[in-house]
Amino acid sequence: MRELYSQRTSAEYLDRAAKVIPAGVYGHQGPAEGCFIPVQAFPKFSSRAQGTYFWDVDGNRFIDYMCAYGPNILGYNDPDVDAAAAEQRAICDCVTAPHTKMIEFAELLVDTVACADWAFFAKNGNDATSGAILCARAHTHRKKIVFFKGYYHGVSAWTQKIDYPGILPEDVANNLYVDWNDFDALSEVFDRNRGEIAAVIAQPYMHGNFADNILPAPDFWQKVRKLCTDEGTVLIVDDVRAGFRLDLAGSDHYFGFEADLICFCKALANGYNVSALCGKEFLKNAMSSLTYTGSYWLSAVPFAAGIACIRKMKEMNLPALLREKGLKLTQGLQDRAAKHGFDLHVSGEPALFYLRLADDPSLMLHQQWIANCVLRGVYFTNHHNHFINAALSDEDIEETLDIADEAFAAL
Amino acid sequence: MEPRTLCFINLYAIFGALPKLCELDDEAKALIADKNIAVGFLVSNGPSATLRFAGGECAMYDGVEDCDIKMVFSGPEKFNAMIDGTSTPIPRKGLMKAGFMTHEFTELTKILERYLRPTPEALEDPEFKRKSTTLMFHLIAEAVAQVGNEDTVGRASTGYISNGEVTLRAEGGEAVGIRCVNHRLTAMHTPPREPTAIMEFESMDYARDLFDGKVNAVTGVGQGRVRVLGMISQLDNINRILDRVSLYLA
Repeated sequence: MRELYSQRTSAEYLDRAAKVIPAGVYGHQGPAEGCFIPVQAFPKFSSRAQGTYFWDVDGNRFIDYMCAYGPNILGYNDPDVDAAAAEQRAICDCVTAPHTKMIEFAELLVDTVACADWAFFAKNGNDATSGAILCARAHTHRKKIVFFKGYYHGVSAWTQKIDYPGILPEDVANNLYVDWNDFDALSEVFDRNRGEIAAVIAQPYMHGNFADNILPAPDFWQKVRKLCTDEGTVLIVDDVRAGFRLDLAGSDHYFGFEADLICFCKALANGYNVSALCGKEFLKNAMSSLTYTGSYWLSAVPFAAGIACIRKMKEMNLPALLREKGLKLTQGLQDRAAKHGFDLHVSGEPALFYLRLADDPSLMLHQQWIANCVLRGVYFTNHHNHFINAALSDEDIEETLDIADEAFAAL
Repeated sequence: MEPRTLCFINLYAIFGALPKLCELDDEAKALIADKNIAVGFLVSNGPSATLRFAGGECAMYDGVEDCDIKMVFSGPEKFNAMIDGTSTPIPRKGLMKAGFMTHEFTELTKILERYLRPTPEALEDPEFKRKSTTLMFHLIAEAVAQVGNEDTVGRASTGYISNGEVTLRAEGGEAVGIRCVNHRLTAMHTPPREPTAIMEFESMDYARDLFDGKVNAVTGVGQGRVRVLGMISQLDNINRILDRVSLYLA
């Protein structure tokens, strides 16, 4: 039996942080939004990271299945990506005139992503999705946007809901909501708002929180694609979370359709801060017309990292590798659960698997099992899909399964 | 802020706190000790409920079918004006018993106000603070239900809450619940037996600080002073409604 991790130092740092930082750690990496249940089980600050591991400030090592919520796809501190970034840093990074790495990166994305005729760079996924909405509205001169319930497209006002703090009803007045996979409902929304819908925005499948993830129904995407084309509506795929984990040509390619605009971030540069919006030729003029930029958006170091990351992902045939690792892990977890008499549901794609112990609908049992895993060195979350990275070895998977076994036994 | 929603809060949460007040406060208890009277409040395009004082206890019921004194209001604004003290309505029924309204009932509302809008000095008395915070728990649970059912933005939050019963409690102190069925909320003045989500404050004092806006719940979660478990999406949405509640109760 493993000794349980202590988070004493983490707690001290969080108290210190809370004095000068709202909530101590805010957002998805913080204890509240990150659903640290119980809070004492989870690390709040890291001290270092390497490959598929990170170490917290108490010296505990974790096999990390959140991968910084997605950016870590090759392994923390990947030598090839870091070398490319270091080489570029010695040349230049944030300069008055952008470096030509920007062109190389755009060319590589256009060659790699099936629907891409151009690439536009920014920093976060939210920049890419917000740029996509601006572009769709600029092109169509329409106001309304269709979302699928359970969506997450960032944190700008247009992505939030009417009841969120700081959001005005006017911010979301042009948002229309439809249930995922309900094409009839989508058609009805189009009927009621004919000629007014600028865009449909969606993740490639429903990877909402607190619920099993749902893949697209057969032909769903193909019907959505046709409807958007027929109605002159821009189809935006938010591939920030799943991008490159399912298909290097884009998750729209994986599901057999073509988006008009596709948003990438997370896995794009293995942790270097860059996002990209790629699109079709007919939207390039609209994108060119936008007043949309940022101080660091054209920095060259993340471009160099992105180029190295994409090249390496291609060499490794990464999506197939991640799928294989994800299947091995999740099947093992389900076996361990069954051994202890628990019903562990696995949903979503293996490279971004979502876990739920179905024995307790309140999720309290699930939260306890997740905490038991974290306390023993496997970093899972109880509310969000997980991420596989290339550095995860068979030995890491075996260790994870041993820990999961102990965690089930401790329930 | 919507006047109709405020009216529901004023009736069900503010007047709805009187039963608990009559349990907790000796002065209130004495005022109703020998009373047997029911006061109905009927608001056009708004709520209707009856407060019954009998057997030394107070209870609230929906509707005004069985009351001795009936107060009728032509709209939510009129009821809210009575709560603000800017209007004094005349009973539609039970004029002969109206003395209860001008004496005992008025006294009860003054005692309630002492607990709900306490002075800093009053809160230095631990027993007073405990009773005041207990009342706040019940008032907030009821106000969450009203805002979640009536307020335009609150209804959006309730629309995201799945069926279940949520417990709000302070360790070693009061506990209340909020039931959600088909996106309608009901306050529970005894905590659920099988909650689907729990929000627990480390103490009554910490709960008080949260209610008074002196500390922040998100920071409290990180520091382990607010413990959450179960269906967090239910708690998330109730927290958004709580944000609206503070607007109405300010």
